[in-house]
Amino acid sequence: MPSSTSNFDFVRPVPDLPWRGILLAVTLLTAVAAVAWEIRVRAWGYVATYTDDSDLWADRRGTVKPDSIVIIGDSRALFDSDLNTLEQGLGQRPVQLALVGSCAYPILENLANDESFHGTVISSLLPMIWLAPPPAPPYQKSVRALHRYRSRTLAQRSSHYIGLWLEGHIAFLNDDDLTLEALLDHLPVHNRADAQIPPPGPPYFANMDLDRRNWMIDQAVHPGKLQDRVKFGWPPLFTPPPPPSYVPKEAFLAGVGKAIEARFGDTAAAVKKIRARGGKVVFVRYPFNGPLKELEDKATPRAGPWSRILKESGAPGIYFEDYPELAGFICPEWSHLSAPDSVEFTKRLVPHLKQALATP
Amino acid sequence: MLFNSLTFVVFFALVLSAYWTMRSWTARKNLLLVASYIFYGAWNPPFALLLFATSALDFYLGARIAAAGSPRARRAWMITSVTVNLSSLGFFKYGNFLLTNFEWTLSKYGVAYHAPQFDVFLPIGISFYTFHSLSYTLDVYRKVCEPTKSLRDFTLAVSFFPQLVAGPIVRAADFLPQLVTAPGLKRGQFYWGLLLMTLGMFEKIVLADTMLADTADTVFGYGGPLQALDAWAGVLAFSGQIFFDFAGYSTCAIGAALCLGFHLKDNFRFPYAAVGFSDFWRRWHISLSTFLRDFLYIPLGGNRSGPVRAAINLMIVMFIGGLWHGAAWTFAVWGLIHGVLLVIERLVKAVTKDAAWTEAFMTRLLVGLFTYAAVCFAWVFFRAADFSTAARIVSAMAGRIPSGVGAALLPTLSLWKVGVVIGGLLLAHRALRDTSIEAVVTRMPRWLVTALWTLMLGAIILTQGNGHAFIYFQF
Repeated sequence: MPSSTSNFDFVRPVPDLPWRGILLAVTLLTAVAAVAWEIRVRAWGYVATYTDDSDLWADRRGTVKPDSIVIIGDSRALFDSDLNTLEQGLGQRPVQLALVGSCAYPILENLANDESFHGTVISSLLPMIWLAPPPAPPYQKSVRALHRYRSRTLAQRSSHYIGLWLEGHIAFLNDDDLTLEALLDHLPVHNRADAQIPPPGPPYFANMDLDRRNWMIDQAVHPGKLQDRVKFGWPPLFTPPPPPSYVPKEAFLAGVGKAIEARFGDTAAAVKKIRARGGKVVFVRYPFNGPLKELEDKATPRAGPWSRILKESGAPGIYFEDYPELAGFICPEWSHLSAPDSVEFTKRLVPHLKQALATP
Repeated sequence: MLFNSLTFVVFFALVLSAYWTMRSWTARKNLLLVASYIFYGAWNPPFALLLFATSALDFYLGARIAAAGSPRARRAWMITSVTVNLSSLGFFKYGNFLLTNFEWTLSKYGVAYHAPQFDVFLPIGISFYTFHSLSYTLDVYRKVCEPTKSLRDFTLAVSFFPQLVAGPIVRAADFLPQLVTAPGLKRGQFYWGLLLMTLGMFEKIVLADTMLADTADTVFGYGGPLQALDAWAGVLAFSGQIFFDFAGYSTCAIGAALCLGFHLKDNFRFPYAAVGFSDFWRRWHISLSTFLRDFLYIPLGGNRSGPVRAAINLMIVMFIGGLWHGAAWTFAVWGLIHGVLLVIERLVKAVTKDAAWTEAFMTRLLVGLFTYAAVCFAWVFFRAADFSTAARIVSAMAGRIPSGVGAALLPTLSLWKVGVVIGGLLLAHRALRDTSIEAVVTRMPRWLVTALWTLMLGAIILTQGNGHAFIYFQF
């Protein structure tokens, strides 16, 4: 009988090759290729920046204290809120929890359900995505981030911290444009005429720091190819997809209408929960312009969702167009401010925030 | 901890360095044991206790089986081990599934009963380590191996980190003997292990996750009728994704073990080149199919009681094999489809009686293609979240679209990716069907080995890793 105390007779074969030399050559070739690629992408204008993934978000969520100032919302809050300026103006450095392309309601709800939280929430309110129903990608993005925050394993945390170190030094670690998948997506392959392909997300046009502050890069600020790619990418992204063919249109629209209706009530309830504990919530409509403004204003006129959310929740709101000092900013790609303008905008926003937050 | 994570890269480098620096074999084994529990505990530390409890119990029961004075007592101890192991697996993996089915059955008799849903975390890799551990008591009972006297060795055999959470299912009888004396490294073994790890990572990160996963997810996640092209692309993509994902994990495990001086057997042998379904199961997840053969099919009677009983035994084994993969009837149906195909194959073989034409090239080619197509058909049930999704996809694959208009969901680039990767996969499996990766690499010029290794490494780096979990972790 084979025994656990006898020697095992199975031995895997090993190809007979000069392995040491091969490994040395592989290491050298890979290192040379990586350095060459790094030099190439830096010449194209890429710099080392952090990937705005759920782990980085979860890090920031983990720093929220009961009396923190928290920024939530979409990418406009990420680009247009300068944390240093807010810290100077409000006396406390805010925690940046806005997420690109996300509906922030689940995050507002998460803060509302956190019994210890009685701080301040500055929320970008972009009605088209604030009202996104639960199955929609903007809603799911926030849900995924929260899930990561709640259930990160030790292994995921350590991978994240090692990854941060690498991202802080290597420019080609850019998940917008330079992953294998993103590079393949640039192949000139035409889709079928009837293909239901979701519009692509914007290319790389901002750098992020560890506080999750987004800075628009110069190439996107000035007219040119990159700026065109970004701005002409917004209208398809801001156009709701057609109802699915396999669900009766009336039933689908009724379902969406019901979900939107529920969101108004849920938002008001979340705001009231935070306020009942002594916390504050203020909604901000950040600048946007060009054809994107026409599109958004038509789909969600100010008198619609914006006014209703403020009314039902009782929270104060700052609409950039109401104040001449906030209204004059131009978004180079129609949706976000350039880095210098974002600092200036925040300076001018602070007094309005203070006033709104002083309101009982 | 995932193989395809930066944490693992650092962890493995540290373990390797410490392991080969130590002189004492006992110290090395202690290191591996601690490293294996860190590897597992980095996911959810409390479940490391469950892993230890499972191992310690089977260590004790193995000793009791060996020491039992009568066949009846041996059998009682073995049944205890099987019952405890399967109960633990059943509680964590099948608890809610059983309750839901219990509810459904009662409702058929007019009893409205709503069982409470248990919010139970599924310990990662529980199906694998339960089988690692159970194989020991079963082999001791069968007198295939003697019990070990070292609890440390046994817990290491069950928890050895390369194969801990997603296989191969390494039997204690195959692993314990390797713990007796310090393993030496054959010439090139360490480097060959590293190359296998690179190949496994390439399969997982580049081919499964980057080239195929989105296509499969899009098609299987769509709620409406699809065009036939999209349905086929989704199913073919999944056939490749699951192979590269799981075979990639096994290849990494074999490579990591080799770097540490251990030898694990193959878990896959180019399965998509299989000619017939019994051939497929000799090539796909070999460690599971041999486990089920030795510990279920043969004890049920195997082929010994006539063809009808053998067919029933096959169906039972494949049904249970299906459910082993997940607590859902779709997995059971996947297993049953394979069971039916195996039974039909036996019938056909009984009729054709190895006639010369069955060995002709064209016959084998057609049977091979049919095998792959049928395996893909079965994958639909494996991957679909429910039967309505499976039915929708099968209908679309057959060109039957209820509304007359199916959605074209996939970008043309995705269709190309599927075509190129799956075409390459099938050609590679066909070319390598009767050989091994070691034999092929031995014949390769060294510049080609260098170029391929560099390309795989470069593609992994370029992909930037997205940390997708391996599909088989959930089983």
